[in-house]
This record gives sequence, C-alpha cells and structure tokens, in this order.
Amino acid sequence: LPFPRVPALSAARVPLSAGWLPALQFVRRGSKAVTRHWKAMHFQRQKLMAVTEYLAPRPAVPPRCLARRRETLEEDNGYAQLLRRQVEEVFRDNRMIAICQFNSMPGEDVVLMRHYLRKHNIEVKFVLNEIVRPVLSQSKYKNLLPLFVARNILLVSREAKAKEMLRVLRGVPQINLLGACIDDTILSKQGVENFAKLPLLETVQGQTVGALTLLPSQTSSLLQRGSAHLTALLDQHIHRLQAGETGSPAEPAPAQSSGAQ
Amino acid sequence: RPRSEPPFCPPGPGGVAVPRAGLKKYVLPPDYSGITFPERTKLKFMDKVPAVPKVRREPRRLRDIRGPSREATDFTQGQYGILALGGGYLHWGHFEMIRLTIGRNMDPKTMFAIWRVPAPSKPVTRKSLGHRMGGGKGPIDHYVTAVKSGRLVVEIGGRCEFGEVKPFLTQVARKLPFPAVPVSRDSLQQMQREEEEKRLNNQNPWTFERIVTANMLGMRKYLSPYDLQLKGRYWGKFFLKHRV
Repeated sequence: LPFPRVPALSAARVPLSAGWLPALQFVRRGSKAVTRHWKAMHFQRQKLMAVTEYLAPRPAVPPRCLARRRETLEEDNGYAQLLRRQVEEVFRDNRMIAICQFNSMPGEDVVLMRHYLRKHNIEVKFVLNEIVRPVLSQSKYKNLLPLFVARNILLVSREAKAKEMLRVLRGVPQINLLGACIDDTILSKQGVENFAKLPLLETVQGQTVGALTLLPSQTSSLLQRGSAHLTALLDQHIHRLQAGETGSPAEPAPAQSSGAQ
Repeated sequence: RPRSEPPFCPPGPGGVAVPRAGLKKYVLPPDYSGITFPERTKLKFMDKVPAVPKVRREPRRLRDIRGPSREATDFTQGQYGILALGGGYLHWGHFEMIRLTIGRNMDPKTMFAIWRVPAPSKPVTRKSLGHRMGGGKGPIDHYVTAVKSGRLVVEIGGRCEFGEVKPFLTQVARKLPFPAVPVSRDSLQQMQREEEEKRLNNQNPWTFERIVTANMLGMRKYLSPYDLQLKGRYWGKFFLKHRV
C-alpha cells in the first residue's frame, strides 16, 4: 500500500508531567471534519441524532376541529362605512321601501323603468348584500334579512304610492317584488297588492269623519221626531175633517188644540 | 349564518351556487418612500485575482465553511436577497454568473443590487494532473470567497415586489455550490420566528444541546468540541434545516 500509515494516537497515554493526563484524545484517522461529501457519522452519533429529533406538538383536539377565529376581519375601509351610512339613511328617511329581485335587464330598459318610477317620486337603489345584512341585523328591521339574498334592488319613496309602483313593475317582467316595508310595517307581495287596492288616506279619513258625524247629525231630527209626528197626524186629521164635514165649528176646535200644544 | 360571508353560498335545490363578487376592495399601491438608491445600481465587477496577489500559499482552513455565519446575516439596504443555507466557496465563475444573470433580469432604473460577499481573496492551490503525491504544495490555481450558512450573498432593492424578483433569484440560487433560497425581509423574519417557535414547542425532552453540555452517556467521546456551539444543526459544511 503506497500511503504511509499514520499511527493512531487514540490509545496512547502521554503524561507530560507526573499526574497529568490530557482530557481529550484526538482521533487522526479518516477524513477531515469539513468535507465536500456527506461524511459518515459514527454510529453513536447517528443514534444521538435519532434520539434528539424534533417532535411536533400534538394537542388533544386537532386545531381543524376547533372553530376558526377570524382575526383579520377588521379591515373596514371607508367606502364600506359610507355605503352602510347611506343604507341607514335610506331606511330612516323613506316611508315606503320595497325589495325586488333584480334579474338581468337590458340597459335601456333599466333606464326607462327608473324614469317611470322617478315620475312618481320613487327612487331605485342598488344595494350590496354584504353591506345591508350587518346594518339590518343591528336595526329593528331584522325580519327583512331573509329577503336580502342574491341580486336585489330597493325601491324607496317618501309617499306610499303602491299602485303606481305595481303598475310599472307589472310592465317589467324581470323585476319581481319580494316584499315591502311601508310605514314600519312589513308586508309581503300579497300584502302590497292589498295595500294598493285600498283607497287613498284622505278619502278614508273623509269616510271615517262622515261615519262619525252621522249620528250627531241625526240627533236634532231624532229629538224633533215626536212633535213632527204629532204635527203630521193633526194635519192629516184636519184634512180628513175638512174633507168629511163642510161645517165651520170643526175648524176652530182643531186650531185651538193645535195652538195649545 | 353562512350567508353573511360573500364567498360561501349554500347551494339551492339545483346544486352548487356560484359565488358572486362582493364589494371591491381597493388596495393602496406599495410605499417605496424609505428606499435610498446607491450610486451604481448594477452589481460591481469582481476581480478574479485580488489587486495584490498572494505570494505565500495559505493552509486550507476549512473552518471558514463550517458553522453559522457571523457577518451579513441581515439586510442593510435592499429588500430581497439570496440566503445561503450551507457552506461553500464562491469562485470567479460564480460571481460572473450572478452578476450577469441579475444584470440581465433587473431594471437598473427602478431596482438596485449590491454584493454582500467580498471579492475572492483566499488562494486555492492545485497540483498538476496525473502526478503522484509529494513534491511540495502546488501553486496557486485560483482565488475563492468562503461563505457560511445563514449569510446573504446579494441584496436587491428598489421599486419592485418579491414576485418580480423571485424568478431570477431562484435561477441564481440553484446554480450556487451550496443550497440557497431567495428571501425578503419578511420571509427572513418569518423563518427566524418559525425556528424559534420550533425550538420552544419541541416535545422531545432530549435535545442535542442538553446532552452535549451535560456530556450524558459520555457522548462527547464521539462528538467534536465544536458540537457545543454547532448543537447538532451543522455537520461539516452542511446545514441541517430539519433539526431543531
């Protein structure tokens, strides 16, 4: 073998002075500490590396079974806040709010419909469900929440002109009325139709007033009914006597009795 | 109520419902205010041989490859860089490859790149081919720079995103003689945090460090005195990433 054998120093004991032994004995066989290739580890070292491996923590309940905490949901941008404020304003200012399902319509049809509704002072508002739902759930309109699903529009107005609105919507097949909230009363589609069939408030008020004043107006005639009846009877009696008798002594007697009454 | 979250729609009687787009979230453009550009945005040319070539041949000293790096472990000017995950020597060919690849792929007007390793200064000797052992140490063949694990090689910065820079940085990192990854400031912090978390939530009561410092079972007979500092994460020039 060409290479010289380096004597191993691992077993040599070299006391430099009496009673002094080096603590560490270096091994000078094999390759150096840092090699280009992966140096083979001593078996004991391999065992040590195997024993000291990383053990990941295993909780009793796996994290995927627990409910997820949505911590990053607080990214409230100003635009969403503005839209929410607008929705709150709409619900506060308008008397009639109708929610309709909005299917795809050609653009000009949308514009025409908005024009007809604007004539009756009804505005059309497009709302996003993800903004309306939190607003409604915190206000008193909680029962309107099931309506805000899929694409919808709001028809809002200050006066409750349900008849004109229904007439316009009947001409547009793509918009279906789902429900309405008129004067803080939630009405279904049937309820809105019934509401439209009702006469105007003024006429109803007039009718109520008339019904109420009907009885007082009859009071005077009721009180005078007895005397009026007697007068009528006596007049009839006079006529009969005049027709039956031709003598004058019958005239002063009923005239005196009618004057005494 | 699952309905309140826009992407999740419960399916109707027909089948799966297609989720609709909700409110558009306008993202602000990134803020590049605190970035100072160096004078020359491209990488400097590195010499093959230092200005004063070494006369005396130096011993091999492989300990400059071993263990974790003590210098250039953090970002200075740039935002993205290449992190070495092992030890090795970079010679002039590597430097040219890095310089040309990065110079080809970056825009010198909006981005800049700086070296985080010095020019080759360590002489490496080589004996001529086909000769037997003996006859003294060979002449100096070339010069190299030693790189330890955890050191940044180059840094890129400027008005750019990590996604723009990552492709050519991975291209360069694959060609280096040691394992390397492209990193950004955030990803480096994330790596360090994960390492720390791993160290803290390790369920194994027996750690290399504990056994070596206490010399349990006389293990130091089979280990190097350097293992007290290296703690089982380094073996030769290799960095063992999966170890705690």
